[in-house]
Amino acid sequence: MLSCRYVYALAACALFNGVSRADVDLPTGGKVKKVDFERHIMGLVSKVGCNAGSCHGSFQGKNGFRLSLFGYEPSIDYANLTRDNLGRRVNTLKPDESLLLLKGTGQTYHDGGMRFGKDGWVYNTFREWIKGGAVWDRGSGDIKSLDVNPPDFALLANAKDKQIVVTATFMDGTKEDITPFCDFKITDDAIALVSPTGLLTPRQPGDAGLTVLYRGSVKAIRVLVPTPAKPGAYPAVPEVNYIDKEVFAKLKMMNVVPSALSDDAMFLRRLYIDALAQLPPPDVIRAFLADNDPKKREKAIDKVLADPLHAAVWATKLSDITGNNTQALEQPALLQFKRSQMWHDWLRKRVSENVPYDQIVKDILTATSADGQKPEEWLAFVNKIDEQAGKGLTTDYPTKKTLDLFWRRQQQVPVEQWGEKVAAAFLGVRLECAQCHKHPTDRWTQDEYWAFANVFGQITFQQNQFSSADMKKAADAENAARREKAPKANNNNNILLVREMFVGAQLRARPNPATNKTPLPKTLGGDVIAVKAGEDARVKLAEWLTAADNPFFAKSFVNRAWAHYFGVGLVNPVDDFSLANPPTNSRLLDALAADFVKSGYDIRKLERTILLSRTYQLSYVPNDTNKFDKNNYSHSYVRALMAEQVVDVLNSALGVEERFTGQEAAPEGTKMVELGSSRLNGSVAYALRIFGRPPRTTACDCERASEPALPQTLFRMTDAAVLAKFTDANGRTSKLAKSKLTNDELVEEAFLSTLSRLPTAKEKADGLDHLKSAKTRAEGVTDLLWALVNTREFILNH
Amino acid sequence: MSANRTDCQGFHRRDVLTIGSAGVLGLSLPAILASEAKAKAKNVADKGKAKSVILLWLAGGPATIDMWDNKPEAPEGIRGEFKSIDTNVKGIQVAETFPKFAQVMDKATIVRSLYHTIPSHGPASVFMTTGNKPTAALQYPALGSVASKLLKTEVGVPPYVTFGELRNGLAGQAGYLGTGYNPFIIEGSAPQRGEGRAATGGFSVRGLTLKGTFTLEELEKRDTLLRKFDTGFAGLDKSNDLVDGLDTFHQQALEILKSDKTRKALDLTQEKKETRDLYGATPFGQGALAARRLVEAGVRFATVSFGGWDTHSQTFNAHKTRLAPTTDQVLAALIRDLDERGLLDSTVVMCAGEFGRTPKVNKNSGRDHWARSMACVLAGGGIKRGYAHGTTDASGMAPATEPVTPDDVSSTIFRSLGIDPHTELQTPTGRPVQIFREGRVIEKVLA
Repeated sequence: MLSCRYVYALAACALFNGVSRADVDLPTGGKVKKVDFERHIMGLVSKVGCNAGSCHGSFQGKNGFRLSLFGYEPSIDYANLTRDNLGRRVNTLKPDESLLLLKGTGQTYHDGGMRFGKDGWVYNTFREWIKGGAVWDRGSGDIKSLDVNPPDFALLANAKDKQIVVTATFMDGTKEDITPFCDFKITDDAIALVSPTGLLTPRQPGDAGLTVLYRGSVKAIRVLVPTPAKPGAYPAVPEVNYIDKEVFAKLKMMNVVPSALSDDAMFLRRLYIDALAQLPPPDVIRAFLADNDPKKREKAIDKVLADPLHAAVWATKLSDITGNNTQALEQPALLQFKRSQMWHDWLRKRVSENVPYDQIVKDILTATSADGQKPEEWLAFVNKIDEQAGKGLTTDYPTKKTLDLFWRRQQQVPVEQWGEKVAAAFLGVRLECAQCHKHPTDRWTQDEYWAFANVFGQITFQQNQFSSADMKKAADAENAARREKAPKANNNNNILLVREMFVGAQLRARPNPATNKTPLPKTLGGDVIAVKAGEDARVKLAEWLTAADNPFFAKSFVNRAWAHYFGVGLVNPVDDFSLANPPTNSRLLDALAADFVKSGYDIRKLERTILLSRTYQLSYVPNDTNKFDKNNYSHSYVRALMAEQVVDVLNSALGVEERFTGQEAAPEGTKMVELGSSRLNGSVAYALRIFGRPPRTTACDCERASEPALPQTLFRMTDAAVLAKFTDANGRTSKLAKSKLTNDELVEEAFLSTLSRLPTAKEKADGLDHLKSAKTRAEGVTDLLWALVNTREFILNH
Repeated sequence: MSANRTDCQGFHRRDVLTIGSAGVLGLSLPAILASEAKAKAKNVADKGKAKSVILLWLAGGPATIDMWDNKPEAPEGIRGEFKSIDTNVKGIQVAETFPKFAQVMDKATIVRSLYHTIPSHGPASVFMTTGNKPTAALQYPALGSVASKLLKTEVGVPPYVTFGELRNGLAGQAGYLGTGYNPFIIEGSAPQRGEGRAATGGFSVRGLTLKGTFTLEELEKRDTLLRKFDTGFAGLDKSNDLVDGLDTFHQQALEILKSDKTRKALDLTQEKKETRDLYGATPFGQGALAARRLVEAGVRFATVSFGGWDTHSQTFNAHKTRLAPTTDQVLAALIRDLDERGLLDSTVVMCAGEFGRTPKVNKNSGRDHWARSMACVLAGGGIKRGYAHGTTDASGMAPATEPVTPDDVSSTIFRSLGIDPHTELQTPTGRPVQIFREGRVIEKVLA
């Protein structure tokens, strides 16, 4: 007891006498005169990793010590640092014996290892704070603004390092250089390194993102490392439209010279794969090469954009984006495939008719089953669709005003998943982190997350629930008739019953688990959506979402279109618009979005602008200045094909059609991109799986794998399904073998039908040699085509 | 001294990543990878006894109350038709339908207190084969995919194979790890030998086994031509990961195709007749034998399925006539065979399905889905020999002692492979995820 009193007395003494305080020297040159809990200690706790999710920031804490995740709740952290565990974590009398310092430096065993060295500046900051009585001046660290210098981008010219300086302006008006208390992350450390205290060191020419994190505030700039300037003037590069102007302006700043224009064959192959998921047929290539019309590229672009398969490519992409997950659709199972097809065809019809993008999205977001029709009208339509679906692949579903399938899932979807899906699909924003805590690298709070989720609290899609008594009466009668007609002893799941997706009166709102209060529905980070009885909150949401001044809507879509044609988004990944992930070329993104809004969300026009640009038509062959460029579009990027493109491109090369049979039967000649189902069972299923067709289960574009893998290579080389395409009686191999073509012509035809170009002199000679040495002409042709489809040039778009 | 300890939950990729590239350690990406590889190697060397896993998958949900956790004392309507028999381990009994297994009990562990809460085939299969409760937000990778990502793989053999697909490809896949970690699919059936006739049939790996006239010589001839044509991207190799990566895969593909390791492993005619007979002439038995040969060749994870366990009616009849004899023979043969070859210590055998079945027998003499109590068998690779873990209550409705969940079992298996079950992997969005979010190692099951 005595010792205890003694301690209190000493502590009191210390307080009254004022603590002798030493300044802390910072590694960036400055000094901290008074160590402040919020401004400095909280910054360091994050910076050295104490409050990471896998350490003390875990909701269970670690070893009995819990901190708030990423440091959002200073009160918890202060209490746990100073009072919990009998106050041993900080020892204001003998600061060096505080567990915080003993563990952090690894002097006492620490599962998390050594986080900082004894007597270094981190140590000294903690120590001075403890020595000063470990006080907390509430609110001292509230941030008014955070400024990064240089703003926007850091140009690291002439191989020189550059120090980033971060200045915080606090609510009391004071400004402080808090650089060493920030956490720095660089997206590509092949381009430049960043030190823990914000010193950038260039490594290789290129462009990387730098994120600065300070206690929950996020700033990001781009780090540009220019190519060493070449003697002589930067060449004049012709510009076709504003895309080229913005792309080339940035390249010039980085001393990067764009590649030459692609040759005609390269251009045509790229255009066909991107826009149609097919290869150009050999005769089309020959005609294009022979054409002398200076506008022939423009004509080719207009031709493919009007091709029915072009809309199918977009229907496939939009099916991914909107989550056309066959397995999640309603039973009976036999109809799930058909429903996915309806979804796909609904989207395809709109792209094909060039319906404005905002209208398409409105018709998805505000969809209902009945579209305001009277019960009889609606049931008549449902009966027609069901009958058509029973017979074949084509239905009148695409004529329906809205896409209610988007909301019709077998299992009830929790509101928060709707929130996440809608944000990712139409805003390109990933919200999921904010479900459980404030988003660590973006602005979204947990309250904003749940308020947005609650917009979807009215969605109703339940067995035997209908939007009105009249609807129920009519549907019940229809369902009774259907049950009557069904064979007895049939599994209930196999009877196709009429179900309605509608907006119910009841709000299935969920509380924010952190506060246990249920936030009112709000637009994302915006205003309350007031809903009167009988109103659909989604209507107001759709208005906000598709408004010209929505910060994400237009940008998100133009970025997706851009990423489709270049392989890399201006914001990349495309569904990760966040504070920590700035666009590589924000001027270009702004210009594309503004043009898109001005055009009335005209998708076709957007694509045309992109395809006509010189940037799109550049060669993939790099020069000395741009070979390392991965995100500034100085040359066409070599990129992997989508799984559907692989199937169709392989078939176009080998002159065969995919056969869709059984449950997923489709007419002869149907291309892979024309099918909506995310889950096929036939022989094509294996190819789709290994090349990464997404199951569309999660609200993330990342589901579509684009990384190469060994089974893909093996598939092209030896898989029985591929080898069968070579022996198909109607396939290209057989036709060429039986044809009257000379060997010269054979080799040319083989190259045109696979690599979409004529062979070089050497390639031609090698091909001819091989044909001559082959035992039979059929064997020679098979070898030739096999070798060609197994090249990297074949399986990559470029 | 403790400061030198770098594993436990201490030094891992997550720390490096949490600190970011700005971290105190200031590691670049290559350095992170190198240190990760080192941490991994150390992990394996220090703790792992096992090198491979064979999963015998009883698809449909086996009534383990009639197998490993028989309840002859339970009331009528629960106890079922089978008596219990003694095993060669004192105090451990199993159902009389498993006499062969009873004689290898001294080499295995029965986990009797396993349970979960998902009585639906799809998600339950995912839970059991990934060690993570399924969520809509993330597709977890199968155990085999995680093993092929984290274990050192052998040149010339695929790391992860499955005989047939789990739930038609819905389970057993690589999930967020990406298509590169999907299993290689074994097709075909064991060779059939008639009297005086050559063997017909045989196993092959999809995409990995050359067939018919497409011989190795043919492949080499075509590849020579291919190399002449594959020069289009020659200048890009050094600066483009994709182009370079495809070249690497091409070399690997040739290595695998030329290597006869896999082909030989799948050629069961190289086994003695007695050994083949030990496993039995069923697809399950011959698959298990092939799995053992594959593991010998360096395969890390092999799944062999045996379906038909979804016995909503006539459970006992199905066990007697069809399910139990085959399972008993195959499981006992595999454990015995591995042990006799000295492979049991380096191979974990897991025999389980997606859930158990209702203790209460229904009106069709069947049992329905029941996840709240189920049992599984583990053996080898540092798993205790001759041990029964946990108990269920008198009527087998729920664990009474030592309750464990599928992710605990997965964690235990991975610990025995030398992989910390808390190891973090990254999803494509860059989110760190522990390989088993909630699993804990069942220490008592480890020797």
